[in-house]
Amino acid sequence: MNRTRLFGWLVATLLVAACGSTGGGGGGNANSYSGKTIKFGAVLSITGAGGVYGPQSRDGAKLAVKEINASGGVNGAQIELTVEDDASDKAQSQQKAQTLITSNNVLAFLGPTLSNSAVAVHPLAESLKTPVLAVSTTGIHIVPDCKFPETTPCKYVFRDSLGEETAIPANIKAYAADSHPKTGVLLVAQDDKFSSDGGTIVQKTVAQYNIDLLKTIPFSKNDADLSPYVTQAVQLKPDVIFITSLGGIPAKIMTAARNQGWQGQFLGGNGFNTATVSKQAGAAGTGARSASAWYIGNEFASNKDFVTAYKNEYSKDPDQFAAQGYTGLKILADAAKRANLTFTDTAGDRDKLRAAIETVNIQSPLGPFQFTSSHDVKQTVWIIQMDGAGGFKLVHEVKAS
Amino acid sequence: MDQQIVNAIFIGSIYALFAVGYTLVFGILDILNLAHSAVFMLGAATTYTLVVKYGQVFWVASVVGIAASALMGLVIEHVCLRPLRRRQAPPIAALISTIGLALIIVAAVEQGKQGSLFSWLWVDGANSVAFPAGTIPNPTWHVADLSLDASKVVIIPVSIALMLVLGYVMRYTQIGRGLRAVAENPRAARLMGLDVDRMITLTLVISSALGGLAGILFGVALGDISPYIGRDNVEVRGLAVIVLGGMGSIPGAVIGGYLLGLVEILAVVTFGSSVRGGVAFAALFLLLILRPQGLFGTRLRERI
Repeated sequence: MNRTRLFGWLVATLLVAACGSTGGGGGGNANSYSGKTIKFGAVLSITGAGGVYGPQSRDGAKLAVKEINASGGVNGAQIELTVEDDASDKAQSQQKAQTLITSNNVLAFLGPTLSNSAVAVHPLAESLKTPVLAVSTTGIHIVPDCKFPETTPCKYVFRDSLGEETAIPANIKAYAADSHPKTGVLLVAQDDKFSSDGGTIVQKTVAQYNIDLLKTIPFSKNDADLSPYVTQAVQLKPDVIFITSLGGIPAKIMTAARNQGWQGQFLGGNGFNTATVSKQAGAAGTGARSASAWYIGNEFASNKDFVTAYKNEYSKDPDQFAAQGYTGLKILADAAKRANLTFTDTAGDRDKLRAAIETVNIQSPLGPFQFTSSHDVKQTVWIIQMDGAGGFKLVHEVKAS
Repeated sequence: MDQQIVNAIFIGSIYALFAVGYTLVFGILDILNLAHSAVFMLGAATTYTLVVKYGQVFWVASVVGIAASALMGLVIEHVCLRPLRRRQAPPIAALISTIGLALIIVAAVEQGKQGSLFSWLWVDGANSVAFPAGTIPNPTWHVADLSLDASKVVIIPVSIALMLVLGYVMRYTQIGRGLRAVAENPRAARLMGLDVDRMITLTLVISSALGGLAGILFGVALGDISPYIGRDNVEVRGLAVIVLGGMGSIPGAVIGGYLLGLVEILAVVTFGSSVRGGVAFAALFLLLILRPQGLFGTRLRERI
């Protein structure tokens, strides 16, 4: 084939493709998308300490995939989601991410569930130029400086989960305004990034609201017997016990503290925000407050529809992690729709997708969704409290400043 | 402080109960059964699965849990120990084979997920779970300034009663005399007409049943059941306890268990949580320097 004929074919192909795209409506090139598969991945903690959060993120994301594929896909392309369980372990998380990027050739992936794992996974995704969207990590230095202490902004790392640097201060501020507590004790799992970051934020925040932090009691997330720490906290008779920890630990602390006769207020972070923890805490958790990125009772359509669909699919209520997982996948799908993917050049497609993610603007269960210039989420914060029966009640709504 | 002593007694009881099973096997066989921590976990995991997955009453489930642990004692004897004994392998070989079995048991439970090969045994994978509220009545009593959870209080009499029964059996009954004879000199015991293999099997069954019970009590009192509870919480501590108490000594294991509980909690209160894991070893080193045979040990063991 000579050059002129090759050029002719190229022009003809482009013309056909351009004609086809007029019917797409979404800005993408529908003809080239049709019948193709868009590969996304997720590295989540389905088991281990993060096992109380990961499964909901997975279920939320899978629901989004099902909805999108059922309604014609992304410009006609079907989404394929590969979910990997990192067992809440940093090394496994990094290894699973590597597999998704290099073997499965995903265009982008969600996760990992835990901030502790994100410090290993996000720099890897950045170096392999693959977009990663954090759907539950809330620690410090997730975005934009994923390679902290290096301060160069990470181009490929995004987050749709509300950072603890926003959530914890909002929660403390709201409670201080309501009840004017004087003293507090902090119980913090010292060997986990999410938890220790939360602890640092509490320590930095309390003074602004005239709360005297009587003691910080660190413990290990692997300690099965938490009673000596709870006893230490209770004996100081604080107005507030701050808990920054993962998994079932907050519930165990609440139960032990109530059993020891303590009547004060529990304040916590994102670790509280799942029905699993609220259920485990039971009556002992009644009134325990946290700031959440999402509230089940919100009446706007994108949330109501999500809640109904989730209940139909899984016969249970969604939680914040499900909402963020669902939103995460919708963000990736929206970006893919606008990215003019080629389906032949993975590296090029990843770059196009990355650029498209930056300009996402969709309605989500979390509310209207956009990224800040540093790839973080900007949204309303919902102050919620456990209702003693495995659910939550809305206490305050804090608009994004 | 008082509440902390109560906390120490609770956790000490669990250490003691676990260590009694550990030390029993060592006292009779001169072998460290490192599968004991896996049996501890198996007792808790089996009971949990029976309650949560098969809807059994806790008491029934725990009896089956203890029975499953005892059965695992048989497996340890027939798979890990007897074949090696027949070949007169050194104790280190038995030690390694029990480590192997422990790894297999933990891995089997860890693989237990919905739809997997082991889903009949466990469905929570690597997750840590707790008995659902209301599985057993667990009121909290307030005495003076102390709060006492029923599930923890019950551990103390159960532990002490079992240890007393075991002490009585070992000292005053035909079986106990047989077991001690085997401990003293297996060949002489065999020449006297004792069925040594049967005695050893019995030891492992009793030891494993105690280990399983300790696991169940741990799961109930601390609300933490996972494939790793044995490995993370009692394996090394149990070892420290039996060295502390004098290897092979049952009263030593009991006192050692409570002592370790106390030392740990005091260390946490004084120095913070970071020293907790190291305390067992620090106590161990100190004692090995000051009294190498342990608190109640009568002679220095040559092996291990």
